[in-house]
Amino acid sequence: MGYLFDPGNWEWLWTERNFRFLLDGFFVNLQIAAVAMVIALIAGLALALLSLARLGPLRLGAKLWVDVFRNLPLIFLILYLALSMPQGVRQYWAENAPGVLPDALRGELVLAGILGLVLYNSAVLAEIMRAGILSLDRGQREAAAALGMNYRQQMRLVILPQGLRRMVPATVSQLITLMKDTTLVSIIAIQEVVRSGRQLSQTAGNPFVGGDVEAPILHVMIFIGLLFVLVNLALSRLSRRLEVRQSRRTTGRRVPLSEEEQAVVVAR
Amino acid sequence: MIDVLTDNFDRFAAGLWVTVRLVGISLIVAFVLGTLVAALRVAPSRLLRSLGGVYVEVFRNIPLLVLLFIAFAGVRRAGLDISAWTAGTLSLGVYTSAYVGEALRSGVAAVSEGQMDAGLSLGFSYRDVLRRIVLPQAFRTVIPPLGSITIAMIKNSAIVGASLLALPDLLKEARIVNSNTFQTTEAFFWAAVGYLLLTATATVIFRALEARYAIRR
Repeated sequence: MGYLFDPGNWEWLWTERNFRFLLDGFFVNLQIAAVAMVIALIAGLALALLSLARLGPLRLGAKLWVDVFRNLPLIFLILYLALSMPQGVRQYWAENAPGVLPDALRGELVLAGILGLVLYNSAVLAEIMRAGILSLDRGQREAAAALGMNYRQQMRLVILPQGLRRMVPATVSQLITLMKDTTLVSIIAIQEVVRSGRQLSQTAGNPFVGGDVEAPILHVMIFIGLLFVLVNLALSRLSRRLEVRQSRRTTGRRVPLSEEEQAVVVAR
Repeated sequence: MIDVLTDNFDRFAAGLWVTVRLVGISLIVAFVLGTLVAALRVAPSRLLRSLGGVYVEVFRNIPLLVLLFIAFAGVRRAGLDISAWTAGTLSLGVYTSAYVGEALRSGVAAVSEGQMDAGLSLGFSYRDVLRRIVLPQAFRTVIPPLGSITIAMIKNSAIVGASLLALPDLLKEARIVNSNTFQTTEAFFWAAVGYLLLTATATVIFRALEARYAIRR
């Protein structure tokens, strides 16, 4: 305990640019998460719709895809993609990535990281969305059909707004998991916060590199963990507020399923 | 394709066995700690409840990789000689226990309050009411979510293996096979089969548990 709270062991945080260095790394995590979240949500919805398609082969194919990718470890996918991505693709991205992207996102292996995050999370999100849609009463679709709506209209106007809204909490908690999982790309040498933290703990206090204040890895990692806890708590608060507003705007009753109902729906 | 498996069968089998043990030990840690956390979360004392809340919020929101660095490199740097197995199973167990605790808490909430009151008024202590009346029912209502948590844990075990050198799990063995044979797709394909076997087994076990014990409400 003395070691943990000794102010000397925290001094690195406010010396030189260490604090800034870690925040820069964390910003890369946020950017990767934002990009992956948007693509994964879109791809997840597409997969969910495919896995409910009326055409047999299409439905089976989508289901198999989803079941394979949501049951493989994400780090496994990222490593495989990084190892097997053709040199040409990597080089093309390194040279032709849009200039608006920050340096860290123009690295050779960023594509592998983001692709892995998207493959895994779109499968998990598809399963959540599919469960939400299936949990709706059949009468909803029948009523929409009776009103003369075609398949597209039924989905867009009746089924999706209700089905997806029910699963908002489960979706948000998966997005929080995605946020945490952005640290995994440190393994394929992308300069995000965990990698920055490791470098900091190795170089700070090292007379050959510069700096004379040591940065113990325990303290560095606790600080990084705190960053994630703060951002993820903010994310879940935000979603809760969104939920309350949504339910006020619609029927006044709580629209999303309770947490345990959702967990049960998804697990089935 | 198949020769990569047959030539390196010992490696894949050893890696799979390490993964199974890693998941097994961490699962025990997660269920024990998770049950304790759930008990805190529904305790009569407000202080205990918020203590449980902080535990859940911290360990649910921190990346497992960061937790592993704290538990292994961090603790070693502090002068404690922790082994990779201890750090790995403890990290994975503690991380997952937050999810188990939350699942159980919602299960406890699903058991009607009257049962707690009835137990207390019959003279059971709070501990006995939880242990004999409420928790057994809570466990049975949340079998499906506990199943998904277990499957998530199997997948997360790969993070433990990837960050701790001394834990040669299935993913690490696949990487060794890859660097020995340069047959990346084949090596990873067989590891994927291993992981899918594990997650499928967990799914089957939890389906069976559900069919046998679940309480539907």
